[in-house]
Amino acid sequence: MRVCSELNDTHGPTAEEKTSVPNVSRVVASQKTRKRGNQFSFRRADMKLYCLSGHPTLPCNVLKFKSTTIMLDCGLDTTAALYFLPLPLVHSPRLSKLPGWVSKDGAVNLEKELKECSGRVFVDSQPEFCLPEKELLDLSTIDVILISNYHCMMALPYITEHTGFTGTVYATEPTLQIGRLLMEELVTFMERVPKAQAATCWKNKEIQRLLPGPLKDAVDVWSWRKCYSVQEVNSALSKVQLVGYSQKVELFGAVQVTPLSSGYSLGSSNWIIQSHYEKVSYVSGSSLLTTHPQPMEQSSLKNSDVLILTGLTQIPTANPDGMLGEFCSNLAMTIRAGGNVLVPCYSSGVIYDLLECLYQFMDSANLGSTPFYFISPVANSSLEFSQIFAEWLCQNKQSKVYLPEPPFPHAELIQTNKLKHYPSIHGDFSSEFRQPCVVFTGHPSLRFGDVVHFMELWGKSSLNTIIFTEPDFSYLDALAPYQPLAMKCVYCPIDTRLNFHQVSKLLKDIQPLHVVCPEPYTQPPPAQPHRSDLMLELQPPPMAYRRCSVLGLPFRRRYERIHLLPELARSLVPSEIKAGVSVATVSAVLQSKDNKHVLQPVPKPAPVPPSKKRKRVTEEPPEVLNPKPLLSGAVPLEPFLAMLHKNGITEVKVEETADGHILHLQTEDVLIQLEEDATHIICDNNEPLRTALRDLVLRFLQKL
Amino acid sequence: MDSDCLSLLPAVCLVLADPKQAPPDDTSLEKLLDWFKELHSQSNGQVLLQDQPCLLEFISSVCTSETTDPAILSFTLKLTGLLAATKQGFHLLEEGGLLLCAFEREACYVCDLWEDASVRSGWLQGLLNMLKHQKSLDFICRNGLIKVVLQLQNDRSLFVASLANQLLVHILNFLTSSSTTNGSDAVGSSVSSLRSDWVSVSSEIMNAVVEALSSEDHPQVLRGLRLLSLVLSQCGEPIRSMLWKDVLVPLEVLIKRGSESLTQTLMTVLQAADTSARPVEELLEAMLGDGNRKECFQCAALVVKLEKCPEVSKRKATGIILLPLQCVSTQPQTEIETYLVLNEQLSQKASCISLLMQSLSSLAELAHRKFLFEDISIHSITSSVVWLLRMCSGQCPSSLLRINASIHLIGCCKVQRCGLDTLGALSVYEENVDLRKDIFGVLLDYLQSPDSHATVLKKTFQAAVRWIAVCSPFPDLLQFISHDLFPVLEKRMCDLRWEVRDSTLEFITQLTTALNGNSGFTEALHTSGMVSVLLSSLADTEGYVRASAVAAVGEAVTASFHHAATERNSSLLEKALTQMMIALSQDTEGFPRRAVVKAFTSWLKGSHPVTALESSLSSVLSLGGNDFDWEVKMHTLELAEVLMEKTLTCCPYIVQNVDFSEKTRLTQALSRLKDYGLFDLLFNSLLDCDRPVCEKACALLVRLRTLTAETADLDHSALVLNVCGNRWGDEVQSRYLNKQQA
Repeated sequence: MRVCSELNDTHGPTAEEKTSVPNVSRVVASQKTRKRGNQFSFRRADMKLYCLSGHPTLPCNVLKFKSTTIMLDCGLDTTAALYFLPLPLVHSPRLSKLPGWVSKDGAVNLEKELKECSGRVFVDSQPEFCLPEKELLDLSTIDVILISNYHCMMALPYITEHTGFTGTVYATEPTLQIGRLLMEELVTFMERVPKAQAATCWKNKEIQRLLPGPLKDAVDVWSWRKCYSVQEVNSALSKVQLVGYSQKVELFGAVQVTPLSSGYSLGSSNWIIQSHYEKVSYVSGSSLLTTHPQPMEQSSLKNSDVLILTGLTQIPTANPDGMLGEFCSNLAMTIRAGGNVLVPCYSSGVIYDLLECLYQFMDSANLGSTPFYFISPVANSSLEFSQIFAEWLCQNKQSKVYLPEPPFPHAELIQTNKLKHYPSIHGDFSSEFRQPCVVFTGHPSLRFGDVVHFMELWGKSSLNTIIFTEPDFSYLDALAPYQPLAMKCVYCPIDTRLNFHQVSKLLKDIQPLHVVCPEPYTQPPPAQPHRSDLMLELQPPPMAYRRCSVLGLPFRRRYERIHLLPELARSLVPSEIKAGVSVATVSAVLQSKDNKHVLQPVPKPAPVPPSKKRKRVTEEPPEVLNPKPLLSGAVPLEPFLAMLHKNGITEVKVEETADGHILHLQTEDVLIQLEEDATHIICDNNEPLRTALRDLVLRFLQKL
Repeated sequence: MDSDCLSLLPAVCLVLADPKQAPPDDTSLEKLLDWFKELHSQSNGQVLLQDQPCLLEFISSVCTSETTDPAILSFTLKLTGLLAATKQGFHLLEEGGLLLCAFEREACYVCDLWEDASVRSGWLQGLLNMLKHQKSLDFICRNGLIKVVLQLQNDRSLFVASLANQLLVHILNFLTSSSTTNGSDAVGSSVSSLRSDWVSVSSEIMNAVVEALSSEDHPQVLRGLRLLSLVLSQCGEPIRSMLWKDVLVPLEVLIKRGSESLTQTLMTVLQAADTSARPVEELLEAMLGDGNRKECFQCAALVVKLEKCPEVSKRKATGIILLPLQCVSTQPQTEIETYLVLNEQLSQKASCISLLMQSLSSLAELAHRKFLFEDISIHSITSSVVWLLRMCSGQCPSSLLRINASIHLIGCCKVQRCGLDTLGALSVYEENVDLRKDIFGVLLDYLQSPDSHATVLKKTFQAAVRWIAVCSPFPDLLQFISHDLFPVLEKRMCDLRWEVRDSTLEFITQLTTALNGNSGFTEALHTSGMVSVLLSSLADTEGYVRASAVAAVGEAVTASFHHAATERNSSLLEKALTQMMIALSQDTEGFPRRAVVKAFTSWLKGSHPVTALESSLSSVLSLGGNDFDWEVKMHTLELAEVLMEKTLTCCPYIVQNVDFSEKTRLTQALSRLKDYGLFDLLFNSLLDCDRPVCEKACALLVRLRTLTAETADLDHSALVLNVCGNRWGDEVQSRYLNKQQA
C-alpha cells in the first residue's frame, strides 16, 4: 500500500531512494492537518454509481462506496401497465367483445394477444411492469438496500428473490407497513382477476416493429414481468430491518448510514451514507410543504461531497395548493349538479390530505351529506395505520395524540358515517352505496382494481367526473381504453415533492460539492422548452444519469482513518518545521481488520534460534530498515551560489525557468535544477562531484 | 361657558407655570391652545391680554424660569405667538419685553431646553402664529431670527425642519403681499424702507437655498430642494422668478451629476416650477437623458404623471418608460445592447420587477388620460402587456434571450396585478377591440389557472368587466361568455377561498349590470345553469359571499325583468324571493341581510314594475325595521323612501283613473303605504337607538307631512287619524324642528 498524507510546505526529497516495505509504513504526520486522537489518513479508491432505473421518481441506484455495495431504493415502474387492457372486476360486455388485432395485410395475426379498443391496440393479458435493470451488475453482491419511502420499494421482491441477494433491507416502520399494504393490494388486484393466458408473441422484435403505436415504441419489453406473489412479498419483507430517524447504522465498519425525515410521506427518509472523510447524501422524494408527515430534516445534509438527488415533483408546473383547490372546486361542482366523483388513487399518501381537506371543505360548500367511499383491499388497514404512527407525523398531528384525539380527521368522518371504507365493490358496498357520492379507489393506472368497474359504470354520464390526483400516469393514456367517454375528466396532479425552486434554495443552503441527478432534471421539460426555471442550474453542473449509466463519483478528499496505538504515539518525536507545523516520522505495522486500520509498533526481531531448521515465512517479522531522513525546506539561490563559490565553483550560469532556476556549472559541465519541490543534480560519470554537490544542497535543508 | 373657563384661567396659569407640578400631557395642552385660538378668533388679542393679565405673568414666569418643562415652554411660545398675532397684542407683549424674552434665541432660556425638539418646534410655530402683521416681520428681521430659522431648516428633527421651511415660505409670501398692500397705501414713506428689508430678508433666504443646492452634502441638497419646491409652489412673483433665476445653474449641475435618490425631489421642484417654461423643459430633457441612466426610468415615470408638461418631454418620457415593458415582451425598437443600464437592471429580480411595475403603472396612467401615442401603435403596446401577462403565468418565454426575465416573473403576483390593471385601463382605446381575442384569452388563462392568487383573480375580474363592457356590441362576446367564461366562473364559485367565491359573485353582478338589456346574455345566464349556481351560493358558509350572492341573484332577477315574463323568469323570482326572505329573517350575519334589503330597493327602483314583489314588501319592511343591525335598518328606510316615491308619484300598482282627484289619489296611496307597514316602520325607527336611523325616519315623515300639507283639499285631521289613529304628525314635526334648531 502506498502511504502518504498532507505535507505542508515540505521540500521533496532530493535524489532519495524510494523504499518499499511490505506492511511497514512510514508516515509523516503533520500537526497542521487535523489530528483526531491518534489517527492518520489514507487515500482510497473511487466510488461508483450504477443506475438501474432511469425513472426520476422511481429510482433504483447502486452505490459502490468503499468496500460496500448499497442499493438506493427499489422503485417499480408500473407505467407499462398502460399498454394492457383493463382487468374488469365484474364481467364487462364491452371489454369482452373487443376485436382482436390483425395487421392490415393480414400477415400478422395476434387476435388472442392484442385487442383493438377505441382506436388503440392493447395487450390482453395480466398487466406487466418494467423492472430495474438486472444486467448492469450482479445483484447478489448487494450488501444492503436503503428504502426511502413506500412508493420506492415496490420492486423489492424482484430484487431480493431469485437473484441470490443475501443482504439486509433498511426501512422505517411506516415505510415497511404501508409498503406491505401497497404490495398486497397490488397482488390482490391481480390475483382477483386471473388471466389464463400470457401474451408474449407480440414482444418478438420482428412483430413488435409492425404493431401500431404506442406499442411499437415500447422499450425493453422482454424485461417486463408479471406481478409477484404474496409469498414473494412476505419473503422480501422479512429481510427488512427497521430503523428510526437519525439512527446510525454501521455497515461492516466501513460506512455509516442514517435515515433522515424527508417530509414526503409517513416514514419517508433521505439517507446519509458516510465514512470518516466522505459523505454522500441520498435525497429521494422529499417535501417542504406542511402536510401530514414529519417535516424534512435539512441541516444534516450539509457538507456532502456528493448529493444524489432524485424524486422531485413530477409536475413542476402544478402547485399542490392550487391543485387541491381545483380538486375541491371540481368535486363540489359535480356533486352540486347531481353527479358522482371518482378519484383513482393509491391507498396511502395524498389520500390522507385529500380527506382532511374535504373534511373542512364539504361543510363549507354545503355538501356535508355527500358520502365518501374508500374502496381498497387494504382501505381499513391504511386508515388505521395512519392513526397509529403518531411519532412519524408532523408536530401538529403528534400533539393531538395527547389530547387524546386521532391525528387525522378521517376518524371523525368514519364515525359520522361520512366516510365509509370497503375492501371491494362486492359485499356490503353494493347494498349501502348511495349516489351522488365520491369514490376513492385504485389503481391510478385504471388498468386494474375496483376503479375499472366505476369507469365502466359512470363513464357514460356527463354528470360524473373523474379527478386524477396521482401524478404517476399520463391521464390521457390511462383513459385510452375507455373512450369514448362522456364523463368529465379533471387532471389535478397533487405532487408534494420538492419543486425546482425549492430544490435550488435547498442546494444553496446545504452546498454539496457535487450533485448527481436523473438526466431529465438537467433540461427544461420537453413540452415547455422555454421554462429554464424548471431545471437544475448549478455550478459545477450536476452529473446526469440515465438507465444503465455507471458514474464515477468525484471526490475532493479521499482519505482513510488510521488509529495509532498509544505506545506508538508516545514514541513520536515531532520537530517543528515552521510555526505551528510539526512533523514526525513513524515506522509501524499496519493492521487492517473489518475496515478498521491500526498502526502498531514494529515487533522486535526475536533472537535467532540456534536450530538450523527452516523458518516458516509467515511467522517471520518484517524486515525493518532504518529510514533515510526526510528533507524539507528550500534552497535559496544567492546563498547557494555563494556556497558554490566558496567551494571553488565559480563559473555558474544561472537560467531562470518557470519552476525555479537551472544552474550550469560550466567548468564541471554539471546541471543543477533547483525547483520548488525537487532538486536534480545532473552529473555524468563523476560520483565524487555529485556527492559533494548533494552535500552542499543538503546543508540548506532540514532533516527529519 | 367661555366666561366660566376664563375665570379658571389664572389658576390654570399658576399650575402650568409651577415647575413643581408635573406637566399635563401634550393633548391637553393642544386642546388648551385650540381653545385660545377659538377665543382669539372670536375677540381680539388686546381684550384677552387686557382682561387676563395672568397670561402676561404666565409667559413671563415660564420664559424666565430655568426649570420650565419643555412641553410647557413649547406651549407658551405657541401661545405668545398667537397672542402677538394682533397689532395690539403684539404691542402689549413688546411693551412688557415678553416677546424678546420668549423669542430671542439666546436671551432668556437655557441652552438645554433648546435641545428639546418640542421647544424648537414651539418657537417656530409661535413665530408662524405671530406673522400676521408688518411689526412681527420687523421683529423677526430686527432680531436676526431669520438666521436661526435657516439653521433650523437643517434640524435633525424632520418636523422642526419642515416647520422651518414653512415659516420661510410664509415669510417670503408675507414680504410680497405686504409690499403690494403697502405699495397701494397712501403712506409712501415706508415703501422704500420696507423695500430694503424685503431685499435683504428675501436674498438671505434665497442665498441659503442656492448655497444648499451647491453643497456637496447630500442631506443639505435634499433640504434645499424641498424648500425650493415649496417656494415655487406656494410663493408668488417676483420671488418665484428671482429664485428660479438663481437656482437654475446649481439645478443643472445637480441634474447632470445624476443621483437616483434626488430624482423624486428634483421632479417635485420641476413640477412646482412652471413646466411650460423653456428652462424647465431643458431640465426635464436633461433628467430624462438618453434613457441609459438608472434614474431616468423613475424620472420618466414621474414626468408621465405631470399634468402640465411640455409635449416633447412627455413623449420622450413615454418612450423611456415603455422601454422595459417592450424589452421584456417584444423586440425593442432600439437594440437592447445600447441600453446597458436597462439590460443590467432587467437581469436582476428586484429591479426587473420594480421597473416593469413602473412601466405598467405609467402606461395605465397614460391610458387613464387617453394619451395619444404617436411613435408606437397602441396595438403593439397592448400586445406587449398581454405577452407580459402570459410570461408571468409561465406560458411565454422572454423575448430577449440574453435577459431571461421570465425566471423572475413567473408567478410574480405584483407584476400580474399591475399588468391586469393596465390591461383593464387600455380598454379605453377603441382600436384595441381588434385584440379582444388575445385579451380575453389571457384573462381566461388567469381565471382558469389553479395558481392564480385571490387578489390576482380579483384584478382579472376587474379587467374583464372593462373589456366586456367595451366589446359588448360584438357577437363573439356572447360566445366567449357562455362557452368559456361561465364554466370557469362556475368552478370559481366552488373555490376553496371565500375571497375568490366573493369576487366571482361580484364579477357576475357587474357583468349582469354591464350587459343589462342584452337578451342573449340573459338567455345564456339561464341556459348555462349559472342562475342555479347563484341560487346555491346563497347558502355559502361565508357571510360576505352570501351577501355577494344576494346581490348577484338580485341583478339576475333585474335582468330577467327586461324580458317577457316567462315561466322561467317567474320561477327564478319566486325562488329568489323565498331564499332572500329566509336570509333576511334567519341569516346570522348583517351583510347578507343588508344585501337583501338593497336588492329589494334596486328592484323597486327599476323601471319595470314587478307585482310579485308586492306581497313580500311588507315583510321586508317589518323584518328590516326590526333588525338589530343599524345598517339593515338604514337600508330598509331607503327602501321605504323608494316605495314612498313610487307609490305617491305614480302608484304603479293601481289602475289609474283619470277622474280621481288629487285628494283621492293621495289618500289611496297613503293607505297603500299603511298596508305595507311603512308607517309602523317610520314611527318605530323614529325612536330607534341609532341616531342616523332616527334622522332618516324623521326626514321621511316630514316629507310625508309636507306632501299632505301641500295638498290643499285634504282633510288633515281625518287623514292623520286614518293613518295611524294618533296625531303623530305634529309630534314628528316638532321633534324634527327641534333637532334642526339644535
